[in-house]
Amino acid sequence: MQNDQQRLSLHNRAVLTHPYKRLGGAFPVKSPSVPNFHDRVYPGHSSSDPALVNDDSILSGHPTAEPSCLGQASPSEHDGNLSVIDLYGDEVESQRVDDDDDDDDEDQDGTHSDDLDLVPGEGGHHVELDDVTAATSKSASADGVNNTHFDRYGFKKQNNYISKSEYDSWWGDYSQYCVRRKHKWQLLLEKSGLPVTDDSPARFPSKSERLKRYVRKGIPAEWRGNAWWHFARGQEKLNKNKGIYSQLLQKMKQIKKQNPNEKQVQDLDIIERDLNRTFPDNVHFQSASYNKEEPPIIKSLRRVLVAFSLYNPKIGYCQSMNFLAGLLLLFLDEERAFWMLVIITSRYLPGVHNINLEGVNIDQGVLMLCVKEYIPEVWSYIKPSIDHHQQNNKTFSPSNNKVLFNMQKNEFLYRLPPITLCTASWFMSCFVGIVPIETTLRIWDCLFYEESHFLFKTSLAVLKLSEHELSKTKPRSNSLNYSWTSNQRNGSMGQEDSDMEIFQVIQTFPKTLLNPNEIFEKIIFKRRFNLNRLDQDEIDRCRKFVAAQRLKFKTYGELLGSTASEAELTSANVNTDAKGTHITSDAVNEALSSEVYGFKKSLAGVHWNNSIKEKVKQMRKKKDRND
Amino acid sequence: MGNSISKALGRLFGSKEMKILMLGLDKAGKTTILYKLKLNKIKTATPTVGFNVETVNYKNVKFNMWDVGGQQRLRPLWRHYFPATTALIFVIDSSDRDRMKEAKEELYSIIGEKEMEKVVLLVWANKQDLKDAMKPQEVSNFLELEQNLKNQPWCVIGSNALSGQGLVEGLSWISNSADAPKK
Repeated sequence: MQNDQQRLSLHNRAVLTHPYKRLGGAFPVKSPSVPNFHDRVYPGHSSSDPALVNDDSILSGHPTAEPSCLGQASPSEHDGNLSVIDLYGDEVESQRVDDDDDDDDEDQDGTHSDDLDLVPGEGGHHVELDDVTAATSKSASADGVNNTHFDRYGFKKQNNYISKSEYDSWWGDYSQYCVRRKHKWQLLLEKSGLPVTDDSPARFPSKSERLKRYVRKGIPAEWRGNAWWHFARGQEKLNKNKGIYSQLLQKMKQIKKQNPNEKQVQDLDIIERDLNRTFPDNVHFQSASYNKEEPPIIKSLRRVLVAFSLYNPKIGYCQSMNFLAGLLLLFLDEERAFWMLVIITSRYLPGVHNINLEGVNIDQGVLMLCVKEYIPEVWSYIKPSIDHHQQNNKTFSPSNNKVLFNMQKNEFLYRLPPITLCTASWFMSCFVGIVPIETTLRIWDCLFYEESHFLFKTSLAVLKLSEHELSKTKPRSNSLNYSWTSNQRNGSMGQEDSDMEIFQVIQTFPKTLLNPNEIFEKIIFKRRFNLNRLDQDEIDRCRKFVAAQRLKFKTYGELLGSTASEAELTSANVNTDAKGTHITSDAVNEALSSEVYGFKKSLAGVHWNNSIKEKVKQMRKKKDRND
Repeated sequence: MGNSISKALGRLFGSKEMKILMLGLDKAGKTTILYKLKLNKIKTATPTVGFNVETVNYKNVKFNMWDVGGQQRLRPLWRHYFPATTALIFVIDSSDRDRMKEAKEELYSIIGEKEMEKVVLLVWANKQDLKDAMKPQEVSNFLELEQNLKNQPWCVIGSNALSGQGLVEGLSWISNSADAPKK
């Protein structure tokens, strides 16, 4: 720890001597805190690889040939970033990799043939792996000691949910996985005719099924900044908005001086309070112990968030954006981090951070629909209990029951189940802080390649994985088949209790998902779970449907003069009891329930196939008859 | 209705369960308090997006504590989820005199809501360890609870989430006050 602090301070000092030079002091293009992910564990594929420099030269800060992940940093800045992070080396033991079932492990569902053809041959494969492990073990001995507490991004390894030994034993395997994946990426780039000498490529092959698979298995850490930028089409956005960021920074200075009481300034205050509470466990976000000076990355974070609040006043600043921007700044320079934040909040999570919060609620409605469709076994744990309806309708009659049943179909789209209080934050922060960092990054890899439906997929996968834990909670006392009287007898304490336990599972369980492959290989891409069916198109349609339904509900409510106000409609309210906030009119219920979202598979998959089968049958019959 | 039943059951079996909602401005120390109580550990402070929920057992009382994110604009997300709250804890950063007025307004807007009518109110005047922190009595005077709260039990207790000072006293006060057959 002490050592890390010292190294960090070295790093800061080195960086601080080169502030903002390149742009004449306007603003730093490159965040000084971008960690320098340099590859030196993978010497395998080319004997003239500059990565083959020895560890000593790196530790002494000698500017070796690798450019930073931006490929535009000056060597001196680069220099300053050295050494805090050891990418693959730490704690990797020098055990021989016996298994070359690499592809079987990592490629599910028979996709491994694609990867195999990139490997020159069985023997060669083996040799390379040996090289890799030898190299990793070498750097482990050089660097590992200093990184015992922090991971390669500067985050603390140990926390309340993951012990040091759990971390170490996972990282031992996972770091080797990373090395293997990086090798495959290098081969892929080579095969695509793209330069691989540059350790942080700015160009990537065009989208393909294979590339998608590669992304799903993880982008090499030191390539992430460029890869995210590339896949999210950041440059396109930046080219359309050249100069905007520096203008925003100018505006930021003026606003502070001129209108001290405006709302924009309120945002500034809130941002200020969150700056030092963003990743306090990450070395890059901490100031050195002897030096109270603000770390450069905090300064960048301030500028990005304030600039954003000026750029998009509809959003301003919403807590969770500090985490998004903070993580971006670990991988991208300031201006690019800013535009990525713009892209995330507009393209991937439209409306989610808006002041009116409708975007969050729509996405939660969509997620609930998906849970119901894809993982009904989990839905039974989280679906809204209906005892409050029953309490509302004191006279419980079969006809009432029918209405209730209809309402149940769709009502959760407006009266979101309480669990969405939890899952809303998954979306707002794109899983930053929700799952361990390596898992978060893998999710982000796919998010930028595959767009927002991936967040829904991941949410479903996390919920699916938590099923086992959920099954240990106290059974919920009420479900549709439960009679009203038995509900009453059980009282609401049981309900409260089990809700509480479910909340705790959903809150805690994701934090234990240390190994990204747990979610990725076991659930998301496993054919058995059918999540592959869920694509962007489906989510886009689903979002439209939910938005329309929510709007309708609101309009009906207003027409009927119900007391339901907008605030109540957007709330995650299921426990409202007889206060008239419920839409009580059967007509409304009927009208709303008549529309049910149809997932594509039921049309495209089953029905379509059936109709084809039917046609083939008929044609055969015809043929038979003719014969 | 359900609430009274659970209370009755609780009395019958000698153990109580309480649903406690912990609110306050952002950066008041809510999450730090929660994890100090739960784990006796200091969690590095980060903004809570969403909420944290933990059960804290004290004597024979089970406190279900809900720590809800502080930023005001996120309030509509959860405000209607808490009708059956036994007690409201409002956490104040006693050292932040600039925001004391904001905290007071926030507190009154919360207890002015229907769901919060008559709940037991505990104010933790937190961060007492800081040099320029207002004393609990000062905070209490500033909030003018004496003048404004006639129908519900309330109390201001000084706290320091880092050392744990005042936390157990607070829970203990809640458990005694919620016993009062008021509700």
